[in-house]
Amino acid sequence: MKNIIIGQYLPGTSFLYKMDPRSKIIALMILMISTFILKDVTHILIMLGVVLLILKIGGIPIVRIARGLKPIMILLLFTFTFQIIFIKTGNLIFDTELTLTVFTLPLMIFIILFWYLTRRYIKFKFLYLLITAFGILTMLSLYTPGSVLSSSTLEVYGDGLSGAFFIMVRLIIIVTLSTILTLTTKPTDLNLGLEKILKPLSIIRINAEEIAMIISIALRYIPTLLDEANKIMLAQASRGVDFTEGKFKDKVMQIISLLVPMFIISFKRSDDLANAMEARSFVPGKRRTRLHTLSWHNLDTTVIVFCIFIFISAITVRVMF
Amino acid sequence: MAIKFEQVNFEYPSFDGTNFSALKDINLEIAEKGEFITLIGETGSGKSTLVQHMNALIRPTTGSVTIYGIKIEKDTKKKGKVKLNPLRQRVGLVFQFPEYQLFEETVLKDIIFGPKNFGVKESVAIERAKQVIKHVGLDEEYLKRSPFNLSGGEKKRVSIAGILAMEPDILVLDEPTSGLDPKGRDDLLKLFMGIHNDLNKTVIIITHDMNTVYKYASRVLVMNEGHLVYDGLPQELFSKENIKSWNLDIPDIITITRQLEDKLDVNFDSQPHTIQELFELVKEVI
Repeated sequence: MKNIIIGQYLPGTSFLYKMDPRSKIIALMILMISTFILKDVTHILIMLGVVLLILKIGGIPIVRIARGLKPIMILLLFTFTFQIIFIKTGNLIFDTELTLTVFTLPLMIFIILFWYLTRRYIKFKFLYLLITAFGILTMLSLYTPGSVLSSSTLEVYGDGLSGAFFIMVRLIIIVTLSTILTLTTKPTDLNLGLEKILKPLSIIRINAEEIAMIISIALRYIPTLLDEANKIMLAQASRGVDFTEGKFKDKVMQIISLLVPMFIISFKRSDDLANAMEARSFVPGKRRTRLHTLSWHNLDTTVIVFCIFIFISAITVRVMF
Repeated sequence: MAIKFEQVNFEYPSFDGTNFSALKDINLEIAEKGEFITLIGETGSGKSTLVQHMNALIRPTTGSVTIYGIKIEKDTKKKGKVKLNPLRQRVGLVFQFPEYQLFEETVLKDIIFGPKNFGVKESVAIERAKQVIKHVGLDEEYLKRSPFNLSGGEKKRVSIAGILAMEPDILVLDEPTSGLDPKGRDDLLKLFMGIHNDLNKTVIIITHDMNTVYKYASRVLVMNEGHLVYDGLPQELFSKENIKSWNLDIPDIITITRQLEDKLDVNFDSQPHTIQELFELVKEVI
């Protein structure tokens, strides 16, 4: 749970911290749109390079970002596999016959069982899973004694491979960019920036201030609620709830024993927060003065110009190539 | 020994990589029977972390905790073989805030949730619930009510009843009397004392109330900045010099006694534990 770093501010002094939150949000939007415009593997790799450069200059350790990517690892792997299996265009790079025989079927089951039993002792669980999956595939394609039970072909096409890689890199870029924003911007600044950017929406009677407040409170409460969830888990564990084992029916009950206190506590928290805000005379929609006002510097203009440059080049390469 | 801490250190992992050390080199032994222990220390000194080690909710970063012969170390869970759940039945831990554990529709269901998890039959668990609800000072009618419509003090009692119904060998309570009125506090403390006396079970209480410590405890543990700085009799603790540096109060009764000794210019033969005892001593002198 400590891996989720969305909504966590990390103090620092680099240019990312000196920027105005407005320019940071706008830059993030421009870079994200640019990423979606790109359609080619080489171009997206250049984009990844740009993002890594931002991390380097901004002094954000890549390890930290990588830790934040861990929760979406499964999603990445899933899209990767699907792309490889289902895209059947381009030139064939690799194809092999997967044969399931009377000998390899029990062997496969044995390997999976072995993986299941030993995975808790292995430090790099993810790598271990990959190696096991790869091992099974290799065995199925090369080792074919005995009578054949069923067989299918595994074909990997150029487009499938590049498409899978492309989507993975794109996801990584998007998550990294938004993580940079939340890592380097204090929630209060983020709130103020959003509010200023959404200001024009007041023409169509949308209160930007409220939306900004809702977003920033939601971000602020992610770590707090995770902390609460952890405490509830401990409290229920001391009443014999074992979250790792048990039958399905018990598991449902265990999850309810987590969710109900979670809801009660979040409602209570929001009630307390509302009271605390009201006690300090918060009235939604009223004009407020600020202790800190935002100021736009040359740095912001430079960064925005740089981002627009990337945006234009993205459109150019899309149209030209 | 029911619970034994050996050179236990515990660190909370932190987001920016610097770990917060909550327990530092704790060595401690707790007997299965006959102890009434109070655990005191200022906020953030590691009291709650210490008691969460006692039923293997969290595992030490280094060192080991042995609970009923089962050694708990950092990687105990990973090795798989050890079942930690039965330990939690033997060492019952009541958390500070009842909101973290109440979730059922009725108080009855909530109380029998714990025992059922440890394989007690439903009918037996209901019988136990009817008993423990009276022990914690509520009547049987409460069993039908929703735990969310109760007052703070009542919720607290229900959460304690939920642990008592598991019939643990050792009872650990994290600030059981916070948020209760003086009468409710005294009733609950009498209940814990009763469990301790009648069933000869060990009871461990985290508290900030020095009067409780002095009046009830047979042994007191003091935590300060992650260290266990004192382990012994309460009488000796309050005559120590450095008690101020641990940010602890002196119990009212001791303050009064000392002032009386000053004013009357006498030395009482013994340290009184209650107003009644003090009264007797004063009568002797005068």
